[in-house]
Amino acid sequence: MRLTIFDYGAGNLHSLAKALVMPGVELAIETNPSRAVEETDALILPGVGAFGLAAERLARGRDVMLAALQGGLPCLGICLGMQLLFDGSEEGAGTGIGLVPGRVRRLRAERVPQMGWNSLEGVRGEPLLARAGLDTVYYANGFVGEPLDSSVVTAWSTHEEDRFPAAVRIGSVVGVQFHPEKSSAPGVRFMHEFLKELL
Amino acid sequence: MLTRRLVVCLDVKGGRVVKGVQFEALRDVGDPVALATHYEAEGADEVTFLDISATSEERATVFTLLERTAERLFVPLTLGGGVRSVDDVGRALRAGADKVSINSAAVADPALLTRAAERFGAQCVVASIDARRDGTGWRVFTRGGRAPTGLDAVEWAAECARRGAGEILLTSIDRDGARNGYDLELTRAVSARVSVPVVASGGAGSPEHVRSVLVDGGADAALVAGILHDGVTTVRAIKQLLADESLPVRQVAA
Repeated sequence: MRLTIFDYGAGNLHSLAKALVMPGVELAIETNPSRAVEETDALILPGVGAFGLAAERLARGRDVMLAALQGGLPCLGICLGMQLLFDGSEEGAGTGIGLVPGRVRRLRAERVPQMGWNSLEGVRGEPLLARAGLDTVYYANGFVGEPLDSSVVTAWSTHEEDRFPAAVRIGSVVGVQFHPEKSSAPGVRFMHEFLKELL
Repeated sequence: MLTRRLVVCLDVKGGRVVKGVQFEALRDVGDPVALATHYEAEGADEVTFLDISATSEERATVFTLLERTAERLFVPLTLGGGVRSVDDVGRALRAGADKVSINSAAVADPALLTRAAERFGAQCVVASIDARRDGTGWRVFTRGGRAPTGLDAVEWAAECARRGAGEILLTSIDRDGARNGYDLELTRAVSARVSVPVVASGGAGSPEHVRSVLVDGGADAALVAGILHDGVTTVRAIKQLLADESLPVRQVAA
């Protein structure tokens, strides 16, 4: 199985790439958004950086990527990578992929960015989380996705008083606001569960 | 609700751990990667490498070390020590650090915090402050606690946060290595003054000291080093005490 990470200049991909190592998985890193969804079995949207810059790198391949995801290409979006699945963001200019109708908004809390480990609510809504036993996850984010249709949300977290989507799913596209690659062994297991569904 | 964090610090020099670490279970106790992953397995929420290299040859080894560690460690990794410029921050992040802590260089040029935060995000910029009690307050020292700056530690922490630091690593020079408990007053004063997370450091002698700085000191996280490396206590024992006291912590299966 071929797995492609879309590298939009988000920086450090070491932990992410290593967490995705599994027998039968061949990993590619692609900076061109159109090519990232060509001849691959799944797309990974990694998660460090600012929305505006990522949207800029995405722009020339946005329509191709949206069509691929709508056509059933499995995808895991992490943190900013999840936010890119939405239409747009308060954080910066530019257009997201637009698979998940809705926008990304700033966390409504005193302590922003949210930095640290937080618990997941409703883990049973996402079989991958339940199977991985992942219930406490690492966050480093100032913004969160707000889907128009909350039925796509499969798990929630609360920072101070603000309850926000921790995970969304549309078909085989999964977005998580936390960093599974920094959420220790259960986080790595979650990523393996995502891959196992595809193998 | 965010959990309280336990951060384990390893002093590295020339890519190796310095200060004796006493674990019979580990074949190479000088290997930072082996130690970092050992502490992760025990439940450490984060790992910090403090690079105390004296020469540029030694210092260059830290980037290879970060790469090797990031490939095996799956909790956040911070690099402190020797970070002088935005380029240094970028190099550390590309090599595999999730956060970078800046100490003396921020005092010399406070705008460095802003430049680093604008380029890489506040979540990866940690302002490291070494403070020593002076009368009723605390003063900031740099160069490993040797150089007085005259800055008031609480005000300097506030300025660091205002300039873009996403977290404050606060070390009491008076307590560092003394194992008689964290400086609760200092921690309380800084935690009350800033809205970014405060990591308390210096003075841990027991799990109870950790509990105390999180509860009475108002710290978001506690940094521990010596008492773990010497086998005085374990990450697991500290986490268990915190959980028993009903503090929100992340616990790992035995």
